[in-house]
Amino acid sequence: MSRGLLRSALLAAAMSCTGAVAQVPGADQVQAVTLANGMQIIVWPDHDIPNVALFNWVHAGSRNEVPGITGLAHFFEHMMFNGTTTRAQGEFDRVLEANGARNNAFTTNDVTVYQDWLPRAALPTVFEVEADRLRNLAFDPKVIESERGVVHSERRLRVDDSYIGRLQEQVQATAFLAHPYQIPTIGWPSDIQSWRIEDLKTFFATYYAPNNCTLILVGDVEPKSAIALARQYFESIPAHAPPEPVRTQEPRQEGERRVNIEADAQTPLLQFAYHALSGSDARQPALELLTRILTDGDASRLHRVLVEEKKLAISADSFIDRGFDPGLAWFLLTLPAGADTKQAEALFDSEIERVRDAGVTAQELARARSQALADFWRGLATIDGKAQALGQYAVLQGGYQRLFEAPRAYESVTADDIRKLAADLLRPGNRTVGVLTAATPPGGQGDSR
Amino acid sequence: MKTILTALLFFCSACAFAADNGVKVPPFERVQLGNGTVVLLMERHDVPLIAITAVVRGGAVTDPVGESGVASLLAGLLQKGAGSRDAVQFAETVASVGGQLDTAASTESISVSGSFLARDQQLMVELVADMLQRPRLELAQFETLRARQIEFIRAAKESDLEALAPIYGASHLFGGHPYGRSVDGSEASLAAIKHADLQRYYQDQLGADRLIITVAGDFKTAQLKQRLSRAFSGWRKAGTALPSIPKAERVATRRVLLVDAPESVQSYFWAGNVAVAKSDPRRPALDVTNTLFGGRFTSMLNTELRIRTGLSYSANSHFDRLLQTGHWEMGSFTQTQTSIQALDLMLATLDKLHESGLEPTLVQSGKSYVQGQFPLALETAAQWATQLATLEFYGLDRRYIDDYSRQLGAVTPADAKKVIDEVFPPSSALAIVVIGNAAAIRDSLRKYGPITEMKLADPTFGPVGTE
Repeated sequence: MSRGLLRSALLAAAMSCTGAVAQVPGADQVQAVTLANGMQIIVWPDHDIPNVALFNWVHAGSRNEVPGITGLAHFFEHMMFNGTTTRAQGEFDRVLEANGARNNAFTTNDVTVYQDWLPRAALPTVFEVEADRLRNLAFDPKVIESERGVVHSERRLRVDDSYIGRLQEQVQATAFLAHPYQIPTIGWPSDIQSWRIEDLKTFFATYYAPNNCTLILVGDVEPKSAIALARQYFESIPAHAPPEPVRTQEPRQEGERRVNIEADAQTPLLQFAYHALSGSDARQPALELLTRILTDGDASRLHRVLVEEKKLAISADSFIDRGFDPGLAWFLLTLPAGADTKQAEALFDSEIERVRDAGVTAQELARARSQALADFWRGLATIDGKAQALGQYAVLQGGYQRLFEAPRAYESVTADDIRKLAADLLRPGNRTVGVLTAATPPGGQGDSR
Repeated sequence: MKTILTALLFFCSACAFAADNGVKVPPFERVQLGNGTVVLLMERHDVPLIAITAVVRGGAVTDPVGESGVASLLAGLLQKGAGSRDAVQFAETVASVGGQLDTAASTESISVSGSFLARDQQLMVELVADMLQRPRLELAQFETLRARQIEFIRAAKESDLEALAPIYGASHLFGGHPYGRSVDGSEASLAAIKHADLQRYYQDQLGADRLIITVAGDFKTAQLKQRLSRAFSGWRKAGTALPSIPKAERVATRRVLLVDAPESVQSYFWAGNVAVAKSDPRRPALDVTNTLFGGRFTSMLNTELRIRTGLSYSANSHFDRLLQTGHWEMGSFTQTQTSIQALDLMLATLDKLHESGLEPTLVQSGKSYVQGQFPLALETAAQWATQLATLEFYGLDRRYIDDYSRQLGAVTPADAKKVIDEVFPPSSALAIVVIGNAAAIRDSLRKYGPITEMKLADPTFGPVGTE
């Protein structure tokens, strides 16, 4: 233990000489307050450009849904742009855009995030319309029907017309028996078609409360005046009773699960989803470094073996869920046309076994650490990246201060931490395997086997 | 309603104030080496990062006929071994310092862009110099990469039809003109490329006289200038002269390319025509007009196809402006059953732009929007490296950035009307692409013009003979 600490302290000292583990500039200027109604406000001034990123993180995602209303959190993301009792449909966007601001939003298993990128002069206007839609959202049946069509089109784009999306949806639904992470964020088609206006009203009343929101501002603002604006526009919105917590915990997986999709596809797909960690788990940095060693860049293990050497895949990627509850660590392989999925899976397995048994080398760890650190700095180069990172840490990863501790957290991960984590998580009995096979292999490709 | 109007007036005048404080190009230094290479350096000391962009003139327009994708393959091979490092050593070296190096081909260039921690400046220069001047271009790497590029196209046909529509679109609009080539090639053209073709292409089309290097970030100009000059002064010129690009003609009527994707549950549309070059002086009016027509959420197109009717998740339009000319395009998608309804609406919306023009308040809103969003593209060292390279590549000066906000402020509804008449095509003159289930929509599509049909599974992005 003490040796690990000493080593990382030395490394940190060595790297800080060259600027790699420098203090995050401006970190000391971040100010956070909680309004009387429970709404959290976090402001990070950055005066590089005359713009501001304002993100409202609503603590509601598909994790808060039940059968019958799957996809509702995401539908809400759309409905929040569709009018209030004081402003007609489309007015929100018209006012923002006329003032030079752009907006967007996204929904995940855990949260719904509303993003505005604006010239600083538009800040009071943005506050006004953001507060208006949190306070006065309208539920016009005609608008709801039209928006149902939009969401259906989005589903067709991302899932129905995408084999990768289709397989991922099935793998996720299979990986969780009990926990609502089994629900696809876009929603099951029958629910998209049939949710009712009362469902929407209940969801809004339950989750769209100031005490269930974290507001992040980054950019050309002074914390004092930004917080004053937040008080002016948001503080009078009454708090609601806090939403019921998600009580269900996923039971321990008892053995490998498999999903097969037979499609008229040329390109076979393989996906592996291992039960992993919650966003605030202290082992997150170790898991990130582990997945970087396996899939980040041409020098990573899986890319080298599967893509470059054996040519059994054309890409090998990974991503990690970082939510309120323990999520999945995903590995996604796209195979060349006509490739043998069994052979690719066997090779993937042997690489995972190797990292579980023998761990990683010091050189690999150092490399992954450098990549993580450099990406950390790149992520903080824009006000958009800062608002994303600040919100992610504030809401899902144990508090915004941990963002600034991230460089040190990467430094303190040891090879032993990674081996233990791999042994703990990357077990066949802890995963769901998704296979999309070509029902009819294309002619002329068969002889490659 | 009254309160909204007041808010609009008040804050729009505030926007004009912000625009006057708009972003200007920070100081930078330009030097030209004896062999023609142009070097541009801009110091930015806010984070300990350094960004490099190296652009070589040429790109897909210099691909030999029938071999589209050579420039793209070469770009990919530049980092598969160079100088003293083989492919694995090269990748390990970049990753070990947390660097990023990407290569790309576009219609008119091959580029290398990198991001490193400031302390690794010397290594960054060495790696980029090796990639451009001493790539190994090994046979085995070439074959692997070519096979993988072909597989990527096949995979996109099964998971990303929206991304493919513009590739079919350029091919359909430009036909045999170099701007119609698929930058990343097609399954057929990639299969036709030989290792020797690629080596010849490297000798002919890459060289110091075609190169622009820009670096922005945390460095000292004098030291880096010396380093770059040492690393690049010795490079030869390209083996051949840059070909001149023939003038592309606008299409005067309407024609349809139908790409049969029998498995698809949606139809993906693309419609466009030849438009303007990067240097076109009408840029502010074109940008404001396109923003209002299809470049933001409340645009005319998105309002009709998404907000008002719920037919689609998205509808948009944009300009692709190149050296000689370029094109304008609009696109959307919808479920198979509503294909004709959506396509009709897209064309009717274009008609409305021509017939009714744009209201003065809308023009004002478009101006504020483009002004307000412009600084977000000028924030990081990497963005500045790209911007400087773009200015140099197209022969533009710093006023292209410095004066843009002011020029936007001066755009009038009459300017918008003028570019609508001069540049935006009427709905009767469009190359149209529809990717979808042909059996369900073929007959209804005939009203739009003569149909050329091909299959999604075909190994080219245009009917046989056009590549």
